This record gives sequence, structure tokens and C-alpha cells, in this order.
Amino acid sequence: MKISLKVNGKKYTREVETNKNLLHFIREDLGLTGTKEGCGAGECGACTIIMNGKTVNSCLILAVEANGCEIETIEGEAKNGKLSKLQKAFHENHAVQCGFCTPGMILSARALLEKNAKPTVEQIKEAIEGNFCRCTGYQQIIEAVQDASGQLKKKEGLKRA
Amino acid sequence: MLDNLNKKSLKYVGKATRRIDAVEKITGQALYAGDLEFAGMLHGKILRSPHARAKIKKIDVSKARCLEGVHAVLTGHDLDYRVGLYLVDKYILARDTVRHFGEAVAAVAAETPAIARKAIELIEVEYEVQTPFLDPKNVFDKKAPLVHPELGSYDYVQAVFTPIPGTNIANHTKLRKGDVEKGFKDSDLIIEREYTNPNVQHVPMETHIAIGKWDIGDRITIHTSAQSPFTVRNLFAHAFKIPHSNIRVFIPYVGGGFGGKAGIHLEPLCCCLSKAAGGRPVKIQATREEEFSLLPCRSGLVYQIKTGVKKNGKIVAQKMTMFWDAGAYADYAVNVTRASGFSASGPYEIENAWVDAYTVYTNKPFGTAYRGFGHVEFSWGMERHMNYIAQKLNIDPLKFRLINALKPGSKTMTGEEVVENTGNVSKCMQAVAESINYGRLTAEEKAREKKTGRKIGKSVVALQKAPAMPPFTGTVMILKLNEDGSVTASHSLTDYGMGTYTSLAQIIAEVLRWPIERIRIPIETDTDRDPYDWQTVASKGLLLSGNAAILAARDLLDKCYDVAAQALRAQKCDLDHDAEAVFVRHHAAHRVTYQQMAVGYAYPNGNAICGPIVGVGRYIAQGLTNLNKENGQGNPALDWTYGAHGLTVEVDEKTGEYKIIKVASAYDVGCVINEASVRGQAIGGMIQGLGTAMCEGYLYNGKGQLLNPSFTDNKIPTSLDIPEEIDCIAIETPQIDGPFGARGVGEHSMIAVCGALGNAIEEAVGANLTHMPIRQEDVWKALQKKGRKASEKVISAVVTEEKTRRGRKPGKKAIEAPVVKAKRGRKPGTKKAEKPAEIKVEKPKRG
Amino acid sequence: MLQEFSYLAPTTLKDLYALLKKNAGTAVILAGGTDLLVEMHNNWISPKLLVDIKKIPQLNDMSFDRKNGLSIGATTVCIDLINNSDVKKYYPLLADAAGRIGSHQLRNRATIGGNLCTASPCADMGCSLLALGAEVELASADGIRVIPLKDYFTGPKKTQIKKHEVLQKIIVPFESANAKFGMRKLKRIKGHDIALISVAMARTEKFLRVGVGSCAPTPVVTAPLPANAKPEKVKEAVMKVVSPIDDVRASRDYRLFMTGEFVDSIYAEIFNGGSK
Ligand SMILES: Cc1cc2nc3c(=O)[nH]c(=O)nc-3n(C[C@H](O)[C@H](O)[C@H](O)COP(=O)(O)OP(=O)(O)OC[C@H]3O[C@@H](n4cnc5c(N)ncnc54)[C@H](O)[C@@H]3O)c2cc1C
Ligand code: FES
Ligand code: FES
Repeated sequence: MKISLKVNGKKYTREVETNKNLLHFIREDLGLTGTKEGCGAGECGACTIIMNGKTVNSCLILAVEANGCEIETIEGEAKNGKLSKLQKAFHENHAVQCGFCTPGMILSARALLEKNAKPTVEQIKEAIEGNFCRCTGYQQIIEAVQDASGQLKKKEGLKRA
Repeated sequence: MLDNLNKKSLKYVGKATRRIDAVEKITGQALYAGDLEFAGMLHGKILRSPHARAKIKKIDVSKARCLEGVHAVLTGHDLDYRVGLYLVDKYILARDTVRHFGEAVAAVAAETPAIARKAIELIEVEYEVQTPFLDPKNVFDKKAPLVHPELGSYDYVQAVFTPIPGTNIANHTKLRKGDVEKGFKDSDLIIEREYTNPNVQHVPMETHIAIGKWDIGDRITIHTSAQSPFTVRNLFAHAFKIPHSNIRVFIPYVGGGFGGKAGIHLEPLCCCLSKAAGGRPVKIQATREEEFSLLPCRSGLVYQIKTGVKKNGKIVAQKMTMFWDAGAYADYAVNVTRASGFSASGPYEIENAWVDAYTVYTNKPFGTAYRGFGHVEFSWGMERHMNYIAQKLNIDPLKFRLINALKPGSKTMTGEEVVENTGNVSKCMQAVAESINYGRLTAEEKAREKKTGRKIGKSVVALQKAPAMPPFTGTVMILKLNEDGSVTASHSLTDYGMGTYTSLAQIIAEVLRWPIERIRIPIETDTDRDPYDWQTVASKGLLLSGNAAILAARDLLDKCYDVAAQALRAQKCDLDHDAEAVFVRHHAAHRVTYQQMAVGYAYPNGNAICGPIVGVGRYIAQGLTNLNKENGQGNPALDWTYGAHGLTVEVDEKTGEYKIIKVASAYDVGCVINEASVRGQAIGGMIQGLGTAMCEGYLYNGKGQLLNPSFTDNKIPTSLDIPEEIDCIAIETPQIDGPFGARGVGEHSMIAVCGALGNAIEEAVGANLTHMPIRQEDVWKALQKKGRKASEKVISAVVTEEKTRRGRKPGKKAIEAPVVKAKRGRKPGTKKAEKPAEIKVEKPKRG
Repeated sequence: MLQEFSYLAPTTLKDLYALLKKNAGTAVILAGGTDLLVEMHNNWISPKLLVDIKKIPQLNDMSFDRKNGLSIGATTVCIDLINNSDVKKYYPLLADAAGRIGSHQLRNRATIGGNLCTASPCADMGCSLLALGAEVELASADGIRVIPLKDYFTGPKKTQIKKHEVLQKIIVPFESANAKFGMRKLKRIKGHDIALISVAMARTEKFLRVGVGSCAPTPVVTAPLPANAKPEKVKEAVMKVVSPIDDVRASRDYRLFMTGEFVDSIYAEIFNGGSK
């Protein structure tokens, strides 16, 4: 089936099999491999993208369903070669370890900040609930989102005894 | 390597330097194995066994072979190769017998994943289902079916392991220190109990994935998501009897490992499929479901501990019996058994110790290394046990731990002497106790109890771990000076998330006194291009590779000085250097820049000297020994990292629901190299430990079939599951042979968290838990039992005086009646009731 | 990569009805796909034809009036239900229930119709809609029929929907508007998880009803009880309709115990605290 869609502001028209999910379409047909697969079953959020303004798990959407949609992936987050504020905050706050959850995590955080410029810690936790991270224990990610929203008062540190 | 320890003068070491691999990860540009494509690449899929134990009577692959787009179909009979880390026991595909649910029985390679999937569906297998062997505690049952009847014919590392042919014992590790029987005789109280843990999955967010290419002429190229490139190469070479130099293993970015990618897994199968497909590369990406059953997990453990103590709280004797539920293949489990055997007491001094640790084959998915390497599992039992003993002795559990903690002058269970610089576990415990206001409720907490109607409990636990590695573990770092005066490192430790590379860059920059921006450590490793490293496991990376980095940086400088000495006609002792150049100390303007010498120094007339510069640093663990197989004595530990957790929990006494209010963790890391990375490891591991404690674990039916091989029923912690407050504390008792005094902390954060949770819950509401994970329902069940006063008399036989501890809430702390056997009240149909704590509390017979 | 299938996305109800009639037995409706694609991923089902109903505007409608109550188009996604002002005002229980489904990513995609058509005992919309006395409208080329939700579920993953029918909308009667309510969901972790049990209670001037999920082969509901039924009576009525089992998620005993607990605590909340 032929589909047309916009990804990170760029238009693509492609012939695609009906049984290919959007995640694989983005990764394989468009070559945007920043979006990851952690389960293929809607649980882990590694495949999170923003579709028509909302975060979705791209593993649970057929590519053909995205015909006519506007999609944003992690590759669209840095503009003109410059890291976004959120990306910088992830960098500054060590919110990344293996990095496999990171693309999805950043998109969930971005969707939150677009709706709510000053989220509370509880709201941040709630917003990234659908993005598993096995490495960081979430804390430094939460701090990064606080930082990106100008709310991290003092840098949380390691105490020395 | 502790020289140069004026900490104030350090520019990079100890700071929260940003990760050197973050930009590519936050932009989605980092390439993981699943992102790699090769010309002609085929996709592999695997047919898995639905049975735990069965004979394969017939496999018919003819239909799959005929399917258009299929290039290779393999079954066990095509592959007469065994693979194994320490005990060579595993066929690449099951031959004749399947030994666990999810085991690979056939595989195909096809042009697309869809065709491969279809081909798999066309394979017909006829099984003769057999009774599986599932309970490791039945290991001495003579009638039990044998998982590996051929055990006696397997190759294994004889200096270290002891398999027992004709049984399901893949290894028996023994440790004997002092005289336990005498110790028990001298004890005032003997307390025995059993603790259990299920299999647990690592759950790296990136599943296992490998791409193999086996060329005609036996040149092999493997791209894989693995932790240890040289181990993959070595095991591959041994299994297929192919020269090491023919095999190239390349590791791109890795999306988490936690031990699950330490050994060799999908790689041989990918390569065999490739060979069968005429050399086209074959990619296999495990699904999440395969991750749970085809790929390894963490071994389960049944841990029986019998402890003899004095009334004053001193442990005098301890007998520890471990039944490690290894699953169908030995993999790392035999070494987990060994390493946890010599550490099984936790960070406490046991004068008279006796350990029997058995690696038991069962018909379950097999266990491998998992962050903590056995210590997470046994610390659950040990730390629960410590509290249990303290209760019986009427001593505060923290005080009891401090009495028995290892300190300078103590001897570990293997007879190694603890010295000042080994580290300070007591300080760790005190730091976390202070952080959580241990021993009392703050006004705020009291108000909270009042408001919520829930009970708050606190606990402090301690932990220790040394790297589990061969005594001859070594590594090497090469620093290559680039034309612009930057350096590129070449080595084979992998960084699958921990941040070690950033720490290494800091160390190199510190030693060179160059800006860190000029230090490049590529994330990918390649056995054809990079020098050897044993494995990236065991929390040994920073120590060994850090030392190699220091030596390499020094060597690089030394070579630069050589060039400068010639170029400037100076003696080396008159030279000094800064970030740009080597110069004559008393004529700083006489200098040769690194740029000038990088690829060979050239005089104005064109004459040149020296050639391109590299610095090499080699480091190998010092003074370690194999352990004596009869008594476990020897020196196994590169370093011991000690730590402690303090945990505050709030529990609903009626429903068992609980919420973790705070976790404070402290580790004696020797020296903090990267503050943010230490904190990242501390928190990440602690939460992973909480996952193990709260909700993770395999569930089987009676046939050994896994009931929860997905995230639907195998939950891991989400952002909403973390404690309200987290505190991380570093203690810095320098490790004399550690880089800048540092020691590893990658695994430690995960250890003993379960015990902390169990103890805090018990403290809050008296729920007596001996099995983890602790689901809300388990707390409820334990509370139901608490109502029944089954064995009050057993207790009173040993505990004579009963005082309220710590002066808090008299009555609340009354010793909970352990249940010897639940005699009544358990409703029929309660499926898997929590094991009745088989508690034997004995009055020692006085001789 | 999933199994091969054809994909059609009709844009009118008429086309949909015709398609379903023609392909009854082979066509499977695709709404948000959060259940369907998981089942296909797991190889539990392999449909030959997927009929995407999201391009049909009528199915995505929500309306409210004082006569007919609330009508929820089948493809309304959770997040739209949660944000709908009539829902917030008159049927906050529904927003509460929809807010408990999965994660943000899920709620942005999962439809209310899909939740009822999967007919899993643990579907979160089930117990809440039951408590509110909802009805469902099933339509096909043969016509439209409206049945009470309590009769709609016939077993685990089984409903009264015929092979050529579509669930078109869900109707929540006006008499349930402004009901005082409470809901509880028992999970294994604090993060997203399916219900080990869920309990929703709604109380209007005239009646009180309790819907329970994961505690029987289908979501179940009590008969309407008097608005000021005593707590023991409410519990008794609930215990009559539940019949939980032991499974990997929880034991029967614990399910029973927690159902009772939840009923007690919601009751107390409703009678003492108003609707939250
Ligand atoms: C990770 C994860 C977490 C989840 N958590 C929850 C949870 O917490 N609570 C919960 O209740 N559910 C949960 N679910 C299940 C699922 O998201 C919901 O049931 C959702 O509402 C299904 O809607 P859908 O639109 O995605 O349905 P689809 O997957 O599109 O369809 C589901 C089924 O209904 C049929 N169908 C759909 N619409 C119609 C219609 N209008 N007429 C006839 N048949 C139709 C389809 O053919 C299919 O059989 C979860 C799912 C996942 C993957
Ligand atoms: S890959 Fe889509 S949610 Fe896990
Ligand atoms: S950083 Fe590894 S999963 Fe989040």
C-alpha cells in the first residue's frame, strides 16, 4: 500500500506492506534508527514517537495507519545541529546510561513539557511511567526534566561521608 | 595506584564530568547491533521448545526448506558442537533432548523476518514429553531424572569446579574455616532458617542481538550486543576449533547487559546459519519473550543458614548450604556458586564457617551472571537472617551487624586478612543509619503514621562483593597520539551503560594533564583492532582498566619525553610538560609540541626521528590465588567493595500494601572518579534491586513451563515505583592498588536491597518473609500467619528474657512467632502458598 | 513483522457494514490496536483482513444531553474521554477509570470500544461502565440493537457481538449523571499494570451499583441496590457476583479479600466524603 506522511517535518511517500508496524517502517524504510524496540508489545515505551501531537508506542501501530500523519522522532529533537534544551538537560544531569530508552524517554518528557511547563516531580514520574529504563533508576532522568523546566534548584549530588 | 593523591590538585578525578557517549545517545545517532545492516543480510528465527524436558522424536523441516526466500534451516543434528564457559555442556540447538522450556530446537535464516517466521511455523516436531526435574532441593534424590546423564564426559575447568557425574550437581563448592561443630557447641543459641529466591530476568532494554557471518575459508565476523568481545571469540574458537585469529568480534553500542550478555549466546547460531547460507550475514534479534526463556536468566536459590551465636551478639559458627537452581546449563552458574560460596556470610566475620554450595541442574531456563553475581540472592537470606538472629537475641539489628562486621584484623571466610585499606563497612552502615534516622520515628514520620494509618518501619543492611574472576585477569590499554595532539584509546573493556569510559577518560586526562576533550575513547570494540581484555563483568573494569589507563598515559608521556629529549638535546630529567608540549623546565620556551611529535618528529631539514607515538599500559590482578577445592581457602579478591542500605517503608497492616519512603545507600568506593556516574550506578542498581525485591521473578507450572515470559506478568519498576527520597553516600577509604584509590561499585548497589525491604516491612508490621519477591499479597499472607500463634513455645525455649528493643513502641516489637507449620486456617486452593518458614530454633546441647 | 493480512479503512458506516457482512468470520476490526496488535505479535491470532474503523467520523463522536445521557463513539480514545468536559462534569468516574488504563502512550491510542470488545475480565472501562448502567449499541447491515452492558459480556474474551457487527457507541444513561463514585484498582506495581482486581461504585439519588473487574470470567456488576444500602448489604451483593480464581497475578483469597476492602473503603468515601 502507498502511504504519505511527514516525519520531522519532511514528507515521505512509500510503498509499504500492510503487516509492517510503524516502528519498523520508521527504522527500516526511513532509516531513522533512533526509535528503538524493547518489547514490540506496548509495554516498554522504547518505541515512543509523537504522532499528531501525541506520544504513542509505534510498535502498536501499523505503518498504513499512519498515512497522512505528522510524526516526530528523536531525530527531529535537535534543530540545526543544536541540542534542544531537554537534550542538554539529559546531558548535564547524567540522565543517560546505556541510552536505549533515551529516545523514547526524551519524547515523553517533551510531550509533558509542551503541556505543562512546570511539572511537579509526581507529574514527571507519571509522564514517563510508560518508558522503562533499566539502567538509571529514573532519578537522574527526573532531575533532567526538572532542570529543563528550570526547576532544579540545587544539583543533586553524591554525598561524601 | 595511589601516588599523586593530593586530591585538591585533581582536575578531573572526582568531578561529575559529562558522559563522553551522551550526545549520540540523546540524539538517537548511537548505533546498536539492531541498527546495523549488511549487504545480503538474512534474518534468523528460532523454534523453541514448549516443554521443559522431552525427547525429540522427529523434526521435519522439509516444508520450511522449500519456502521461497529461506536460505538455511538447521536442527540439532546439523550442529555437533558444544559450547560452555566453565563446563562445556550446551549444544547450539537441542539434539535429541530438550532440557528447558524455550530451548532452541531449530532455526532458519531467510530474506525477511516475515519469511523466517513463516518457515518456523512450518517446522514439525514430535516430542516425547518427560517428567522434568524442577526442585533443586531434591538434588540428593536418587530417583530424580538426570538433566545431563552425560555430565561425566563434559570438559570443565578442573582447577576450580567439581561436577559430580551421575547426579544433577554441576558443581560443588566447599568452604571450611575453623571448626563449626565446636563453634556450635560454644554457642548460646543456634538459629536455622531457609530463604528462597526465584529465577529473575536481567531485562536489558535492548534484547540480545547478533549478526554472524561465516565466510568460505572459515573467516568469521560477529557483530553482537555483548559485554565481552574476547570471551565471545575465545568460546567460539574452542567450540568450533577455529583459530582465534580467524574470528573477529565487533561490539557496537550496547543497550544494557547486567551480566546477561557476559558470555556467548546467539552468536554461534547466527554464524552456523550464515555458513549454511553460503556466507551471507545472518541477524538474530531476540524478542522480549525469547529474552525470558531462550536466553539466560538469574539462577534461583534455596539458602539454608544455621548460625550459632553468643548472648553478647557475637557469631561463632555458621553453616551455609546453597542450592543454586542453575537451570538446564551451567553457563556462569557454577561460578556464581563459587563466588557466592566464598562470600556467603556477607560482610561479617565468621570464625567457624562451613559452606556447601551446589550448582544444581534443573529443567528450567538456565542461569547466568547477573549484576551482583549471586550476592543479591544470598544477601536476601543472609540479611533477613541477621535480623532474625538479632530479634532472638533481643539486640538491635544494626548493633548486631556492627558487632559482627568485618574490620581491620578480621579474617574473611577464605582466610584473607582485612586491613585498614580494605574498606569500612561499619562506616557505611552508620552513614545510612544517620540518613534515615534509624532507630526512631521523626516527628514528621509520626504524623505520617497518624495520617495514613500505616506503619513505618526502618532497616539497615550491609553488603560486600569482590570481583568474581580468575586470579590471572588482565587487561591492556593503548593510547594512540593523533596528529593534532589528541589521543585515541584502544582497549576492550565495554561500556554498555555504566559510564566507565568517561571515568577512564578522566583518569587519562588527569595523568596526562591534558584537557579531557582531547581524550577519545571510541565506544565500539573490535577484537581485530583492540587489545585483549578478559571480560566486562564483576565490577573489575574501573580498577583494572583504570590502572592500565594510568600506565598507558605514563608510557605515552615517557615516549613524548624521549622525543623531546632528542629534539631539544636535553636529559629527560630536565623536562616537564603541559597540555601542549614537552619543554625544558628551566627554559620553558624550548619546547616540542605533541603535534610536532605525534607521527614522528621532523627537523627543519626534513630529517625525522622516532615515528608515531603510542602509549601502552598493561595491568594484571596482583597476588590472587585459586581457592583450595577442599576448604575454599585462598585469596580470591581483587578488592572488596563494602556498602550498606538504609530503607524506610510504610506498610498497610491490613492489606499488605507498602510504599518505600526512602532508601539511603553508602558505598566505600575508595575514590570517587566520577561523582555523577557513581550516583547513577548507586541509584540504578538500587532500583534494579528493588525490582527483584518487589515484583520480579519467574513463575512456572508443575510441568516446568514458564507462565510469565513477558512484561505483562513480569513487571519491572517504573518511574512511579521508586522511593520518594533517595540518598547516595560515598565513603573513600583508598584502595592502595586502585586507580587514584578507586574500587568498583557497578554491582554493589543491587545487593541486599531485598533484605532491607523485607526487614523494614517486618519492623513495621511484623510480617515474617522468607521468600522474595515481596509482593503486596505476600505481605498480606505473612500477616495472616502472624495472627496464629503456632510456635510461641519454640521461641520461649531459647529466648529467655524479652525486653522491648530500642525503647520504641513497647509491645510492637514483641518477637513475632515464627510458624513451624501452619496447622490451620490455610484455605484449600491457595495455589502457591508462601513456604512456611521452616524454622528450627534449637537449644544447643551442652556438652 | 506480523503475519500477512489485508487492510481496509472504510470511511462511512455503510461501507463498514457492507464490508463486515461480506467478510464475516475473516474480517477483524482494528480500533486503537493496543490489544489486537499485541495478540498478533504474540501469534495468538492471525486475521486475514483488518478493518480499520478510525476513519469513520461518526464512530469518534461524543455527545451529551439530559434525555439520552452520554453517548461515547466506539473509537473515542481514553485521553479524549478523560478531557471531555461533559465527562468531567457528569461522569467523572469514567475519566477516573480511563485514566487508569496503561500509560500515556496507551491512553492516547486505546479506544473505549476496543476495551469493551476485547472483553478481558480486567478491562478497566468494564467495571466503571457497568456501575453506571451503560448500554452498548451494536450495528450491522441488518440493523442496530442496543443491549445493556451487563448482558453484553458472555465470557472471557466473549461478547454478544456477532461476526458482522460493530460496537458503535456506548450509552451512559442520564440517570447516572452526577453519581457519587469511587474506584480502586489493585496492581502489582505502582506503575502501569493491568488490574488484579478493580472495583467501581456509583451512587445516585436512586440507586447504588458496584462493578468489579478481574474477579469473574467477565467484568461483573451487582443489581442496583437502594441508594442508601448498608455496607454489609453492598458487600454481600458484591460477593454474590464475584468468583475469582488463582492465577499468576494473584490468589483467589487475596482477590476476595481486596474486593471486600475496596468496597468498604469506597463506600466510606462515598458516604462520608462525597464524590472524592
Ligand atoms: C501495555 C498495555 C497495557 C494495558 N493496560 C491496560 C489497563 O491498564 N487497563 C485496561 O483496561 N486495558 C489495558 N490494556 C488493554 C488495551 O489497551 C485496552 O483494552 C484498549 O482499550 C483496547 O482498545 P483498542 O482500541 O486498542 O482495541 P483494539 O486492539 O483495536 O481492539 C481490541 C479488540 O476489540 C475489537 N474491536 C475494537 N473495536 C471494536 C468495535 N468498535 N466493534 C467491534 N469490535 C471491536 C477488535 O477486533 C479486537 O478484537 C493494555 C494494553 C497494553 C498493550
Ligand atoms: S517496543 Fe513498543 S512499547 Fe516496547
Ligand atoms: S539508560 Fe539504559 S535503559 Fe535507560
